[in-house]
Amino acid sequence: MKLKLRPAHYLILLGGALFFVFPLMAAVEFSLRTNQGKSYGLANYRWFLHQDGFRPNLFMSFKLAALTAVLVLALMVPTVVYTHLGGAKWRRLIEFICLVPLVVPVVSFAIGAITAMPTIFQSSPYELSFLYVIISLPYTYRALDVGLSSIPLTTLVEASRSIGASSRHTLQFVVVPSIRSAVNGAIFLAIALSLGEFTLAVLLHWDTFPTWINNVSQDNVLGAISLSVFALFGAIFIVLIVALAPNIRKSEKIEESA
Amino acid sequence: MKSSSGIAVHLDGLTKRFGSLVALNNFSLDIAPAELVALLGPSGCGKTTALRILGGLDVPTEGRIVVGGQEISHISANKRNMGMVFQAYSLFPSMTAEENVAYGLRVRGVNTAKRASRAKELLELVGLSTHAKHLPNQLSGGQQQRVALARALAIEPSVLLLDEPLSALDAKVRTQLRDEIKRIQREVGTTTLFVTHDQEEAMAIADRVGVMSAGNLEQCAPPADVYLNPINVKVAKFVGAMNALPGILTSATTADVLGQSIRVRGESPNGSKEVRILIRPEQLGLHLAAEASEHTATITGHSFLGPLTRITARLNRDQTNLFVALPSAQAMNFPIAASVAVVITADHALIEG
Ligand SMILES: Nc1ncnc2c1ncn2[C@@H]1O[C@H](COP(=O)(O)OP(=O)(O)OP(=O)(O)O)[C@@H](O)[C@H]1O
Ligand SMILES: [Mg+2]
Repeated sequence: MKLKLRPAHYLILLGGALFFVFPLMAAVEFSLRTNQGKSYGLANYRWFLHQDGFRPNLFMSFKLAALTAVLVLALMVPTVVYTHLGGAKWRRLIEFICLVPLVVPVVSFAIGAITAMPTIFQSSPYELSFLYVIISLPYTYRALDVGLSSIPLTTLVEASRSIGASSRHTLQFVVVPSIRSAVNGAIFLAIALSLGEFTLAVLLHWDTFPTWINNVSQDNVLGAISLSVFALFGAIFIVLIVALAPNIRKSEKIEESA
Repeated sequence: MKSSSGIAVHLDGLTKRFGSLVALNNFSLDIAPAELVALLGPSGCGKTTALRILGGLDVPTEGRIVVGGQEISHISANKRNMGMVFQAYSLFPSMTAEENVAYGLRVRGVNTAKRASRAKELLELVGLSTHAKHLPNQLSGGQQQRVALARALAIEPSVLLLDEPLSALDAKVRTQLRDEIKRIQREVGTTTLFVTHDQEEAMAIADRVGVMSAGNLEQCAPPADVYLNPINVKVAKFVGAMNALPGILTSATTADVLGQSIRVRGESPNGSKEVRILIRPEQLGLHLAAEASEHTATITGHSFLGPLTRITARLNRDQTNLFVALPSAQAMNFPIAASVAVVITADHALIEG
């Protein structure tokens, strides 16, 4: 469906764009100032690159994000598929459980984790990933639920089973590829949430990239701004990769068949 | 194409209940090796249920399934080695036509080269070798169902299960693909159960047609038998059009219909001598009548169907509407409002129950 744009639409678009772009441009401009604002350069970026803990904390956040994404997929894809097939009667309940993290304050969540998590988990920063999985449930559930509603899941699964595929093969070869963009959306949400999460990490006394940004930027305003710009564009870059990856394969196929 | 020898299917007393609803009632059917049986019946009569039970997608409440001499009632769908084609488009949207066809072999661990050559062979069989690299959304409905058929056949299934595979297609593609399914089924020799609610389709494609109503298998016989010698009124009325003409029983096996004597089968529903006799539109002929009488009828309409024209007429005696199918050239002799005498060409008929 093609949307026809009228002048009013353009105005709204323009207004929205300004609203987003202005602060961004301002931030970029600030982050490039050097010599007390007399000239432009990359000094602020060099500054944070050389701060202690830049790399280890960035890597820690990446590792947490990757683990979170894997856990989210392993937990949520089969669960949501199940609610769309035989488990329709559990659907309401599961949906409700997945929405609960939205209304639980992070502080009580952290206290809950400290009191209830097995100590063996609490001794490693990776405990954060398990908690991030829970925090991201409302969003990942939604993404996968919408994706699965958009395909004739029952027919596809039955077709796959009747040809002889096990449930694992069916999930791996049929279901996940059919809802690629929803799965990518869920992955992206899980990654974005883990990369940006601050409160839980602080409350549970772990160092991640966000907590590190908070520490180093206490006494360097321009450095802090350049760090935010870096983090923002880094995140956009990751979104682009996740969003574009499936399209590359699709366009390859169409070319082949032409 | 390698031709499998075909495997016998034996369905024994299958009953399926959904809560209080009996979707399938003591359903028994034997399908001979390489035979194509079509299940025909109105919507909701349990055709799909029977097919899904054979395919292992539903579990019967009672009954046994024996395929190739082996009871498979408790074997799960993915171990039954059956190829299914569904009414709804069911190709895997992320895979090309070729990958869809090869999928059954892929999950069986067959190597890439063998998979590719088998997929190619099957796409050729269904006439789609040029579309191997297309994704399902780049194929027409008919092409998608061809690929689905190739996908089902790729695993050399012991039984092929087709659930209204043509119902989403337009009339022309439907007849074309129907003939093709028949050809392919002959060629491959796979025992096949074909579900449809389209009589013409069932008649055209099947070795035997099983007519169902409300969970029961009423009759399973070659198409001509089902049409010409329906076992009961339900079958007679469901297969083809039927006139219910007023008649009077003259003995247990004869009746007087429109002044003609005819052999009849069945019982008068209320014991009365006045009954309705079922006669097909093409078993009636017309003559122009000089004057109206209680045995004549008045022409009320024509529907031109190409080679045949369907004439509707109203009996003077009791205003019963009846249909007569005549070659179109003849039908022109009977204009609307003409008085006609109705001649029965059938020598036996059923009493409406
Ligand atoms: N999963 C189910 N739960 C409850 N009732 C069902 C279920 N599946 C089928 N039924 C009921 O069983 C009966 C038979 O259904 P079935 O799908 O076999 O009909 P059908 O002959 O294939 O009809 P159609 O030509 O419309 O496809 C119907 O009354 C249907 O409502
Ligand atoms: Mg059906």
